[in-house]
Amino acid sequence: MFARSGLRSTQRVFAGARNGAINVTKRAASTSSGAEASPVRLNIAAAASTAVAIGSIAWYYHLYGPTAHAMTPAEEGLHATKYPWVHQQWFKTFDHQALRRGFQVYREVCAACHSLQRVPYRAFVGTILTVDEAKAMAEENEYDTEPNDQGEIEKRPGKLSDYLPAPYKNDEAARFANNGALPPDLSLMVKARHGGCDYIFSLLTGYPDEPPAGAQVGAGLNFNPYFPGTGIAMARVLYDDLVDYEDGTRASTSQMAKDVTEFLNWAAEPEMDDRKRTGLKVLVVTSILFAATVWVKRYKWAYLKSRKIAYAPPKDANVQHRQ
Amino acid sequence: MGFWDTITDLVDAATPWSTAEAEHPDSHKSPQGDAPLGGNAPAAPAKEISDETTAETDKEEKAEDETAEVKKNEEPAEEEEAEEEPEEEEEEEEEEQDPKDKFEDDCKNSKQCAPAKHHYDECVERVTSQESEGGAKEDCVEEFFHLAHCATQCAAPKLWSTLK
Repeated sequence: MFARSGLRSTQRVFAGARNGAINVTKRAASTSSGAEASPVRLNIAAAASTAVAIGSIAWYYHLYGPTAHAMTPAEEGLHATKYPWVHQQWFKTFDHQALRRGFQVYREVCAACHSLQRVPYRAFVGTILTVDEAKAMAEENEYDTEPNDQGEIEKRPGKLSDYLPAPYKNDEAARFANNGALPPDLSLMVKARHGGCDYIFSLLTGYPDEPPAGAQVGAGLNFNPYFPGTGIAMARVLYDDLVDYEDGTRASTSQMAKDVTEFLNWAAEPEMDDRKRTGLKVLVVTSILFAATVWVKRYKWAYLKSRKIAYAPPKDANVQHRQ
Repeated sequence: MGFWDTITDLVDAATPWSTAEAEHPDSHKSPQGDAPLGGNAPAAPAKEISDETTAETDKEEKAEDETAEVKKNEEPAEEEEAEEEPEEEEEEEEEEQDPKDKFEDDCKNSKQCAPAKHHYDECVERVTSQESEGGAKEDCVEEFFHLAHCATQCAAPKLWSTLK
């Protein structure tokens, strides 16, 4: 009943509005000022719509305004600072001394939780280790053999063609051992994260002594500003003098982080040194060829470009011009 | 990284008076062997490093003084006490401290990062007082980010010139 009466009233309002509109058009068409009530109605309509607009904004602010729930800085994470990595310059290779130190850090620290499954031992030969060192390191691990005559799978010492062993049997075992958090494989990590080397270096060295006041850190998580969401399951692992470098470099936290980051960049991009050299060759050869093609084109076009076309009209006026 | 770096590298490689870039591993042990690999300015880096180590304390004190002066106008007694503590710590473990932490502490107290540090300190003060009264209504993550961003950016080139 109420709804119907309400409907009727709205119909009346619409009818009134229509009349008002007609009146307005009429008044516009003829100069006579007929309808007295229409400006009042228009004022009411304007006031009502303004009130509705303000009210809806106020309601929305009441719901979502006071606190930001999305895209807070903490959610985004602090963007990594750009560091002047030498190996990222155009004509620079990896520092292979740093790679060797970085591999030592990976082996002694990171490898307890993180796998490096896409890197075989043969990749280390000539870049980080000597053949004998790499062979000895591979032989420290056991791998499955092919099935023998009885179909049994036995164990054999590793070879250069084997890949680095993972610390856990599978992801579930890794999660179980790490309180539900899966330590990701690091083989392509430099390519897989925004900021690459800068991000990994900042993450490793960026743990503050204590989280800033008021920051919420979840149970079993650690505060790291560079990790999106700022709660990271990995605790700080690199501390000063954790590793004894064989070349006598002082193993400060940032030195270890820098070395291991460069090593991980090598793991993700082992072809970088060759790629840069090949790229340089390509640039040199193509620029020579380009210069040659430009010269040949100019040579071939020389007679066309240097010719002169002139129109000499016939001297004697044999031609009858039509009047 | 940039294009001009490569140009300067090429120029350095071509000029006869530039320093040799590849070094024997043993030579790294000498303090001057730690000069940056780029060798952009042949004689300058080694000089810079030695200057830094000797004039380090002077710089620190200057920076401390400047920030102290700034702070005096804004917040009198508490801040000075807070700033004197890290300085003492640094003197104790000058040798052992991680260069990154050292440079970043210097940067945090420098004039460059004074606004960010001011905001962060103020926020910490506000939030801790809120916490003591009963739940904090906000956190200082954003202020911390700004300060950390400023400090790391200021410390990055210095850090890379000392690390191998």
